[in-house]
Amino acid sequence: MEFLGLAIQLMVVGMVTVFIILLIVIQLGKWLIQAVNKFAPPETVATKTVPTAQTIDAQTMSVLQAAINEITGGKGHIKKAERL
Amino acid sequence: MEELMNILERLYDMTAFSNIIAEPQFLIMYALAFILLYLGIVKHYEPLLLIPIAFGVLLANFPGGEMGVIQADSEGFVTCADGTRKIIWEMPLHDIAHEFGLMNFLYYMLIKTGFLPPIIFMGVGALTDFGPMLRNLRLSIFGAAAQFGIFAVLLVAILMGFTPREAASLGIIGGADGPTAIFTTIKLAPHLLGPIAIAAYSYMALVPVIIPLVVKLTCTKKELMINMKEQEKKFPSTTEIKNLRTLKIIFPIAVTTVVALFVPTAVPLIGMLMFGNLLKEIGSDTSRLFDAASNSIMNAATIFLGLCVGATMTAEAFLNMQTIGIVIGGFLAFALSIASGIFMVKIFNLFSKKKINPLIGATGLSAVPMASRVCNEIATKYDVKNHVLNYCMASNISGVIGSAVAAGVLISFLG
Repeated sequence: MEFLGLAIQLMVVGMVTVFIILLIVIQLGKWLIQAVNKFAPPETVATKTVPTAQTIDAQTMSVLQAAINEITGGKGHIKKAERL
Repeated sequence: MEELMNILERLYDMTAFSNIIAEPQFLIMYALAFILLYLGIVKHYEPLLLIPIAFGVLLANFPGGEMGVIQADSEGFVTCADGTRKIIWEMPLHDIAHEFGLMNFLYYMLIKTGFLPPIIFMGVGALTDFGPMLRNLRLSIFGAAAQFGIFAVLLVAILMGFTPREAASLGIIGGADGPTAIFTTIKLAPHLLGPIAIAAYSYMALVPVIIPLVVKLTCTKKELMINMKEQEKKFPSTTEIKNLRTLKIIFPIAVTTVVALFVPTAVPLIGMLMFGNLLKEIGSDTSRLFDAASNSIMNAATIFLGLCVGATMTAEAFLNMQTIGIVIGGFLAFALSIASGIFMVKIFNLFSKKKINPLIGATGLSAVPMASRVCNEIATKYDVKNHVLNYCMASNISGVIGSAVAAGVLISFLG
C-alpha cells in the first residue's frame, strides 16, 4: 500500500503525457500538411500509357523472331503479332 | 563388475537424465516449449517470434547445456562455477562467455544493453506507412486513450504486491508492443523479462480472439454499423494533402525532434522507429539501407531477441507465483487498453455530429497491423460495405507512438 500514491501519480502523469504528446503530433501533422501544401509543388500522378494492339515494338519483335528461329531451326516466320 | 557399475553411474551422471529426475520441474518447461512451438508452427501464432522464443526455452532447460540466462541479484552479483561471486557488470564479455556460456554472452551483449529492441523498432518503422495516420490525423488521439490499460494494471499490480518497477513492466504488456515491453522490462525489472515477453507476444498473437471478445462486451450492433465512409461524405474533412511524399519524408524527422524534446527517454524507440520510416520514405536514394533495416538486420535481431528471451525462462526463474500474476495481469492490461479506446470513442460520439465507429478506438493499442485487420473483419461482418481498415490504421500507428511514450514516462520515473 505504501506505493499506491506513486501508482496514482504515475497513472495521472503518464496518461496526461501520452495525450499531450499525441495532441502535439496531431497538431504538428496539421501544420506540416499546411506547410507542404503551401511550399512544395503538388504531386504529379504518373499516367500509364496503355499499349494498343498495334504497338509491339521492334525489340519485342526481334526477341520473338529469335525464339521462333530457335524452336523451328530458322524455318518459322512471324506474320502477325497481337497483344491480348 | 563394480568398475562397470562405476562407469555406468558416471555415464548416467554425464547425461541430463540425472538432473531431470532430481528436478522434474524441467519437464514442465519442456511441455511449455512444445506448446509454444505448436502454437507457432501449427497455429501460426506470431511464428517469427514464438518459434525462436520457444526454442530458447527448450535450450535453456537442458541441465549442463549452459544455455540458460543467469540473473544477477539486486546488487549485480553472480556465482561462478568455482563458487566465487563476481559483479556481472565488471566482467568482460569474453569472461561471461567463458563462465556462463554462449547464450549469456548474447544476452548481456545484445539484450541487457537494450540494443535489440530499438533495432527491431527501426525495422518496424521501415515497414510502417504513416499515410493512413496523416490522412486521418484526428483519429490518432485514440492511440492515447488505449494506453490506459498500462497504468491501470500498474496500479493493480502494486496492490497485488509487485514492486513499482515490476508493476510498470507488467503494465506495459497493455501497450501490445513486444519491443516496447522488452525494452521497459530490461530497464526496470530484468528478472521478469522471460514471462513478460511471453505474455506480451502471446496476447499479441491472441489479438483475433481478445479484440472481438472485448468488442462484444462493450459495443452495440448500432455502434459497430457506423459507416466511416458515409460519415466522411456527410461531414467531409477540409484538409487536402497535395504532396503526400514530401509530407511523409518530413513527418518522421519532425516527430522525432518534438518527442525527443518532451520525453527524451522514449528516443531509443521513437527515434529508431522514425529513422527506419525515413529510410523507406526517401525512396531509391536509401533503398539499400531500407532493405537492410527491414530485412537482414531485422531478421537477425528477431532471431537473437527471440532466442535470448526464451533462454531467460529457466525453470528456476519461471515456475513461481509471479509468473501467474504476470499472465493474469497481462491479459487485464490488454483488455483494459482495448476497452478504454472504445470508451473514448463513445465519449467522443456523445459530443460530435460526425460519428466514429468504436472499432477505431479498439485499435488504439499497438499490434500493427493485426489489430486493424481484426477490427475491419468485425466491421464487415455487420455491414459488408463498411471497410474501416484505413481509419483503424490511424489509431493503430499512433498507438505505437503512444506506448513508446508511456514506456518513456515509466522509465523516467522508475528507472
